[in-house]
Amino acid sequence: MITLNHYLFVSGALFALGLAGVVVRRNILVIYMCLEMMLSSANLALVAFSRFHLTDGLPDYSAQALVFFTITVAAAEVAVGLAIIVAVYRAKNSIDVESVTKMQG
Amino acid sequence: MSAFSIEVLLALLGLAIVLAAAFLPAVSQRTLAWTGIAGSVVALLLLCGASHAESSLPAFVAPYYSLDTLSLFYKAFALVITALVLWLIAESDSTLSNYSADGKLGELVGLPLIVCTGMMWMASAKDLVTVFVSLELVTVAFYVLVAYTRKSALSLEAGVKYLILGAAATGVLVFGAAWVYGATGSLSFEGIAKGVQNAAVNKSVLLFGIAFLLAGLGFKVAAAPFHMWVPDVYQGAPTPVTAFLSVGSKASGFIVLTRVIDALLANGSRVTSEVTNLLLISAAITVLLGSLPAIFQTSVKRLLAYSSISHAGFLLLALASRSSARFDITSGGVVAFYLATYLPMTVLAFFVLCVLRRQGIGDSLDELKGLGRRSPLLALLLTIAMASLAGLPLTAGFLGKMLVFVAAVDHGYWGVIGCAVIGAAAGFYYYFKVILAIYTSEGTTEEPVTVSIASKAIATALAAIILILGLYPRPLQKVLAAPAAASVALGK
Repeated sequence: MITLNHYLFVSGALFALGLAGVVVRRNILVIYMCLEMMLSSANLALVAFSRFHLTDGLPDYSAQALVFFTITVAAAEVAVGLAIIVAVYRAKNSIDVESVTKMQG
Repeated sequence: MSAFSIEVLLALLGLAIVLAAAFLPAVSQRTLAWTGIAGSVVALLLLCGASHAESSLPAFVAPYYSLDTLSLFYKAFALVITALVLWLIAESDSTLSNYSADGKLGELVGLPLIVCTGMMWMASAKDLVTVFVSLELVTVAFYVLVAYTRKSALSLEAGVKYLILGAAATGVLVFGAAWVYGATGSLSFEGIAKGVQNAAVNKSVLLFGIAFLLAGLGFKVAAAPFHMWVPDVYQGAPTPVTAFLSVGSKASGFIVLTRVIDALLANGSRVTSEVTNLLLISAAITVLLGSLPAIFQTSVKRLLAYSSISHAGFLLLALASRSSARFDITSGGVVAFYLATYLPMTVLAFFVLCVLRRQGIGDSLDELKGLGRRSPLLALLLTIAMASLAGLPLTAGFLGKMLVFVAAVDHGYWGVIGCAVIGAAAGFYYYFKVILAIYTSEGTTEEPVTVSIASKAIATALAAIILILGLYPRPLQKVLAAPAAASVALGK
């Protein structure tokens, strides 16, 4: 039997992996994929909470509505984000974070 | 006409300007910018005349949309800052278009109106879903604005940094919202306020969610320890966009934070001490980490970035000091008052930087030397802005800081007050360093700096507002006194 805790555990693990990826990886594209993973982990937690929070035997759908908004917004964010990453590649011929560290202190 | 339809019209105007910039090359950039300014001014007038009753809203938005004094104040605030930012963009169009990809300013003129729609919508948000969508409307548009002058390496770098850290903050925010929902069973502020009072709610789950939620919002308002992006992004972004980030983005972060904190610290809340401590610790380190590094900055833009962090610290302290018996303003009202004083002085400082940039003068302290003789008016305006940012008595900045200090003293937050005093003292040092540089005699050139009459008039009006607010703040306080009643109704 899969309980709420199982879902939350997977969601937490995904979130931690995503955050670790953002901090550790040097390739901007991979960092971006890790960011998407963080959003997906939040979505999983939302759906799980919604499914196990029954009112009158039905799931509470307000959290699932947020999931749809998150997916949509993530898509918009990717559109803008990839455009910026392409601009970086054109300017620097590299998508390594080291290529954008001119400003310090 | 309801406030809601003004936002829809504003977004449509923004889209129309973006399209006109792309498909009507005959229309000049300045015309488009001034169309945007006219649009936001008309929207401001419409907002004043619009019905402020929630019954005027269409039925499909009414459950998700509040129209109290605070939300109307922040709506007007968003419109004012948008108009001023468009004015700064029109003022520096020649410098900006040199660095944009196609030599034009199309989206740079249209997107601020869409950001404004997001900020106005956010001011009325009643639940975390609306907050999330409007916050992202603002943030995603800002990714574009920050990286817009992408021929400049600094702007591109700022864009990437803002993109990655902003998206990470979004992830953290949604994750936090999920756990707060898991604990309280509701995404609306009203439901969350009920949830924190409910003894059946699992407190550790709730605190786990709150920590993530506040971390995500802390990023948006540049609160420590999530402030690392601010100096780089502010320095690299085009100057008008920096002004927008510094005032608009911060204000919209703080209205959401005000609502969230109001819900979390509702009467009988079981997490009062934890949330207050989180806010106080964050306020103390934000003031210190903003003020102390600012002392060593040589770029005025970067200095203003650190100053913006330190101001966020004062605002957090104001949020933590719940309504004080001494005056008729709640903590949310104090925050709004502080932001209202922060707007003219910041815009004025960035205006001077924009004008200088157009004349080929960079933003380092050395290049400001001799400004006092090259343009006495600009020097005077920058002096007023800096004195007010430092919090010199008789300026608006002083009253904002004083309200925060008085409220904090009433609650006896002495440790944080100590940090804030250190921060304010450091502020006097680094802001006056700028004033000293302006009036120092050694300058490389004596060539006068020219400013158009219209810009002179607007900038002088901003300086006058700083001084008038500093001497006679009563009208603004009266406007903001009403939210007290609204917050009391919410449970405080």
